[in-house]
Amino acid sequence: MKKASIQFILLAAFFFVAWLLFGEIDFVDRFHIEQLTKDNERKLGEFILDAVKQGHREIESDSVQTFVDSIKQRLCKSNGINDSSITIHILLQDDINAFALPGRHLVVYTGLIRYCNSPEELSGVLAHEIGHMEHGHVMKKLTKDAGLSMLTTIAGGNSSGTIGREMVKLLSSSAFDREQETEADISAVHFMAKANIDPENLANLLFRLSQDKNEILQRLAWLSTHPNSQDRAAEILKLRKQETFSSLPIADSTRWMAIKKIVLTPDRK
Amino acid sequence: MQFFYRPDEYESEKASNSYLMSMVVLMVGLPLPIVNLIASVIFYFGNRRSAHFVRWHCTQVLAAQILTLAINVAGVYWTLGIVYGNAVVTNNYIAYIITIVLFNLVEFIATIYAAIQTRKGNHVSWWFFGPLTDVLVKA
Repeated sequence: MKKASIQFILLAAFFFVAWLLFGEIDFVDRFHIEQLTKDNERKLGEFILDAVKQGHREIESDSVQTFVDSIKQRLCKSNGINDSSITIHILLQDDINAFALPGRHLVVYTGLIRYCNSPEELSGVLAHEIGHMEHGHVMKKLTKDAGLSMLTTIAGGNSSGTIGREMVKLLSSSAFDREQETEADISAVHFMAKANIDPENLANLLFRLSQDKNEILQRLAWLSTHPNSQDRAAEILKLRKQETFSSLPIADSTRWMAIKKIVLTPDRK
Repeated sequence: MQFFYRPDEYESEKASNSYLMSMVVLMVGLPLPIVNLIASVIFYFGNRRSAHFVRWHCTQVLAAQILTLAINVAGVYWTLGIVYGNAVVTNNYIAYIITIVLFNLVEFIATIYAAIQTRKGNHVSWWFFGPLTDVLVKA
């Protein structure tokens, strides 16, 4: 038994030394593993975005785009996130929905802007989606649901429009894991607090969404992709207590009403 | 190397077969370590009443399979964490995968060698697994 024990220790030592020595080689840098993934993600994002835009027109109003971009900038700059890396696309669509795509594209439907009672509520949704981006949830969800080989094929440019539409459906109408939703909520609360926006606004939106679901179920796409809204709202209020912030308004009510008016009559610039 | 008695033709063939089976298992066992476990259990129950030479070599393969299973499960678990979870590809991960592939390769070559030798009736005692089998299998 003594001989076996000594040989086992030597074998284990050999294994760990080999692992340690191989670990000294910078494979990630040498084979550009991160860049390869980012490049694939960018191509995938462009492909899915094309499919999204085939179904819906992008809003032409510069003022709405500038307004939503300014919320994104406020959230990003306060949290050390490169805001220019995130592109927001506002699409004319009645559904109350917003979703992140690979390559840091964020799609916001005009139905969501119309539904929000304040720009702070809208910022809550943006913060939540930015949370998904920061945690890399989008690629993980696609890899899990569509498969790695499928994504590589798409990134290589060998795919049809049908696949693109399926990807859009996957990202816009099915939920992330509960764990991922919680992570995105935690980030959203933190991002909002850092940007001096009261996270209670996100909780209010979620409460209202859960209460309105019987009336306008057909349009509540964001709710169907974000179940258990009441529980989440309660959790957000708990997390809010841990943050320190001074609530500073995003815009005055006149400007917000002007934005909503444009969204209601989108052909106005 | 000689066993303490000369196995007959039937015993040599059976002992050699256990290595041949292990070889196939090793080929699919890296991505699917559960195959290692199933095969190890089959080896154990299939040969526990065989001749000493057969039992000894089946036990040596079984011991090697269990260790391989442990290191391969860790590799697969880590990979699944990257594909479906929050883990990322790191130098440590790649180093681990290379190390386990090397260990599987060494075991694969040792298995082929042992299969040939035991078929000829020769005894092959592996590093660590040989002395361990001596303790586990009494004459």
